[in-house]
Amino acid sequence: MKELEFNRVSNRRSFIKKMARLSAMAAAAAMFPGILFADEQERMLPSGELEWKKAPCRFCGVGCGVLVGLEKGKAVAVKGDPASPVNKGLCCVKGYHSVMAMYGKDRLTKPLVKKNGKYTAVSMDEALTLIASKMKETIDEYGKDAVSMYGSGQWTIPDGYVASKLFKGCLGTNNVEANARLCMASAVTGFLTSFGMDEPMGCYEDIDHANVFVLWGNNMAEMHPVLFSRLLDQQMRRGAKIIDFATRTTRTSMAADKSILFKPQTDLAVANAICYEIVNNGWVNKSFVEKYCSFSKGSTDIGYGIEDKFKFKDVPEGIDFEAYKEFLKDYTPEKVQAISGVSAKDIKYMASLYGDPNKKVMSLWCMGMNQHTRGTWINNLVYNIHLLTGKISTPGNSPFSLTGQPSACGTVREVGTLTHKLPHGVVMNEEHRKHAAEIWDVPVENIDPKPSYHTVEMFRALDRGDIRFMWIQVTNPMVTMPKLNRYRDATKKEGRFIVVSDIYPTPTTDIADVILPSAMWIEREGMYGNSERRTQYFEQMVEPPGEAISDTWQIVEVAKKLGFEKQFYYNEDTHIEEIYAEYRRHHEGKKHNMAPLEVLKAQPGAMWPYVDGKSTQWRFNSTYDPACTQEGFDFYGKPDHRAVIWQRPYEAAPEIPDEEYPFWLNTGRVLEHWHTGSMTRRIPVLHKAMPHAYAELNPADAKAMQVKTGDKLRLTTRRGSIEIPAAINERGVPTPGQVFVPFFDENLLINDVTLDAFCPISKQPDYKKCAVKVEKV
Amino acid sequence: MAIKRLFVLGLFFILIIAIFTTGLFSFQTSQEEAMVPALSESAVIDIPQEKGVFERAHLALDYSNMPVDENHSRSLKTYYDNRAYHGAPPSIPHEVNNQMSMGGKDCLKCHENGGWVEKFGAYTPVVPHPEKRNCRQCHVPATAKDLFMGTTFKGAAPPSIHNNALTGSPPIIPHAINLRENCLSCHAGPSAPKEIRVSHPERVNCRQCHAHNEQTTIDIGEFTRKTYDTTD
Repeated sequence: MKELEFNRVSNRRSFIKKMARLSAMAAAAAMFPGILFADEQERMLPSGELEWKKAPCRFCGVGCGVLVGLEKGKAVAVKGDPASPVNKGLCCVKGYHSVMAMYGKDRLTKPLVKKNGKYTAVSMDEALTLIASKMKETIDEYGKDAVSMYGSGQWTIPDGYVASKLFKGCLGTNNVEANARLCMASAVTGFLTSFGMDEPMGCYEDIDHANVFVLWGNNMAEMHPVLFSRLLDQQMRRGAKIIDFATRTTRTSMAADKSILFKPQTDLAVANAICYEIVNNGWVNKSFVEKYCSFSKGSTDIGYGIEDKFKFKDVPEGIDFEAYKEFLKDYTPEKVQAISGVSAKDIKYMASLYGDPNKKVMSLWCMGMNQHTRGTWINNLVYNIHLLTGKISTPGNSPFSLTGQPSACGTVREVGTLTHKLPHGVVMNEEHRKHAAEIWDVPVENIDPKPSYHTVEMFRALDRGDIRFMWIQVTNPMVTMPKLNRYRDATKKEGRFIVVSDIYPTPTTDIADVILPSAMWIEREGMYGNSERRTQYFEQMVEPPGEAISDTWQIVEVAKKLGFEKQFYYNEDTHIEEIYAEYRRHHEGKKHNMAPLEVLKAQPGAMWPYVDGKSTQWRFNSTYDPACTQEGFDFYGKPDHRAVIWQRPYEAAPEIPDEEYPFWLNTGRVLEHWHTGSMTRRIPVLHKAMPHAYAELNPADAKAMQVKTGDKLRLTTRRGSIEIPAAINERGVPTPGQVFVPFFDENLLINDVTLDAFCPISKQPDYKKCAVKVEKV
Repeated sequence: MAIKRLFVLGLFFILIIAIFTTGLFSFQTSQEEAMVPALSESAVIDIPQEKGVFERAHLALDYSNMPVDENHSRSLKTYYDNRAYHGAPPSIPHEVNNQMSMGGKDCLKCHENGGWVEKFGAYTPVVPHPEKRNCRQCHVPATAKDLFMGTTFKGAAPPSIHNNALTGSPPIIPHAINLRENCLSCHAGPSAPKEIRVSHPERVNCRQCHAHNEQTTIDIGEFTRKTYDTTD
């Protein structure tokens, strides 16, 4: 098909050219003998001479296919890839201007080393030698667990893979974490506890089949606009319904058929109330639950991880349906109405949508449910709804966890760049360690069976001095860490050595001892994995500036300098191919097989498990998933092949507004900026559209405080305070008693005042809830 | 008399039977387990290149009869000034009052069919893809003048519009068609940039004459045909 189109375009093109040339020559020959017009005719043809190459978009986890227009070694244009099943030719404003992120005036082009408080440019080799020797020194003096790597869901698959191999396999420390801990760790633990296997069972095609979309605290119109446009298409053409269940009124609410607002943290209670309604109205899909589900409860009153060295281990216990029903009695719609502020009528309405056997329902969520001190629980609870009604793993019936970074799934979750993970399995499991050690060509004893620090604890360890060396790649923790004050000070302490690989100066490079210029996205070769388990390849299309090299090759070079030439045998010209081939070996088998590179090069990505030359669209369903070993459904991630319906109660947030700090503080993103804005703010169109952060107030609160848009507000929490302009009735309207601030602005760092409480199971911080005082300045 | 009574009785009888059957049927269906009905046909909606070509064709005659307002015509220069590169989504050059709204309800009021706007002294450009309702997913206004940091980005240059292969032959379409399948929205009517306003909007089957020349794949060179082995 692709081939055909290829020929057609090319043939038509050369035909036109040829015809032009021929007729021109004929005319010229007849009229002005001796003169040939061919060159001129060529020039007259349209300047559509750009070369277009495919890549996944650099920004969010949707993973749109883009075509990059190249001219004279520069990227000059972008268009959506009509062949991509993800976005079908449409992009968002960030995607359309994405290539401009490479051409900011202040690109880092030389390695910089801090000497006596000033940065000196050195050669790449010198910088990498310094890093290797510093790592050696630190390990000799403080032990292997004093060095750490902090990466990102923006790492390509090879970046994360070599980082994990070096630290876990060769150095023998589990100090590898990634910023995805801050954005989707709860989704991971949600999947693991409910299904025993990470990542969504369905895919984006579910959108084309579903009748109802329930968005759980997810402003898709701004955060996942391209997917949201697919929802809107279905709403318009098929009358599909969109329900926006949120704490803030946004563009998504405007497009939704119904907007339901709830009080922060009470989504736990509402989800249980929906289950109560499903059970009590006889909407349970009995045969599905009997055949494919089990019931469990875990520990309660599990804490918030605010204190250093916090430890928690859930103790699951099997229960029966009767016990679960008894538990639900605390969550009648009427009781929950009092907790959540959602009317019993609305709760019953949502339950009826899930309960209607003739409706296919897709639940979608992202940070609202993941950045939650009970993030794992709320993920479990939404799965409960889908499991009780049997609306799962079939086209259109899909609980779907979205991601925010281009390779949060591909690199962090699949390669396993988290402290407890291995590319396949976990460090605690001996079989998994053996499997990884064999492929990595290291003794199995090298891999430490104990996880070390998760992200928040890793920065706490840096503060305490347990960690002395940290290498940060493709992320900006000095903007994104909660309770940032403490962790910024930590990096500046005596005897800490911080390496930062990035493409622009950021608040994180500000605290670095060594800054390495990186080659980004299409300046190098790599792969990303998006939210629907789709792995996508991109080739190098342009040259990186100055001495910049890829994050992968930075790590490989340092590994070689540390004496691991045997494990890092890769050839500079073909290393991405070699690394990917090696990585694929970890996932062999029907449950997780990755597509070979030739396939990724030829088509707009492939979804794992990739079995017998085919992507698997719906896992756990024997009709679609060749890994199933029984008829119907098979939740093979669990030893008993049953998905778990969890009894998880509602528990309050750690810091609730009180008299002194009377507002909830919620943080998030805006459409124009991505992550910390270090790239998007350097794109003129995007910066001009959204030049700075702001604080949204409910108009009623604003009126009471006599605040209008543009007035300066002082936001104070127990961690500190910032001054920020107000925005009333602008991009969004928070519920009364709530303030919303986007986090992208490095000049108005809202994370200086956020709380570093996290979900005890997933260790993901809650950026959406803490208590704040609001004053007009 | 008897026949009449029989008729009335019969009618009642039929009614009772009907009530009974409907009741029984609905009772039975309510007893059925919650189940997911079999898959309906795939509802995948594509964005085919040809879609929308005739979308505004009903206005073509009006366009063709409309006098041209030379003084308030857009030019290609202003058209491209509002884009980061050739083919980029244009920015919104005016204030947007409601930050929160979906564009479908607000933007389309003017941008669906265009028309004169006294306030700006200009004709409203017409959107070629009104079905995409989250307008500000791609189109954003400029609220600040300054840059965060400078840029060295140079966008793709606009193509030449004098691209006829022969004098007098129809020019070729030099841009991507995706999202811009509807030719008349930009090439006809008072808001069309004067350089690219078509002289014959009533000929609505544009691509009958104007070939699409946008290379989306790598050139594979000349196609050479296999020659036959012949025995002389």
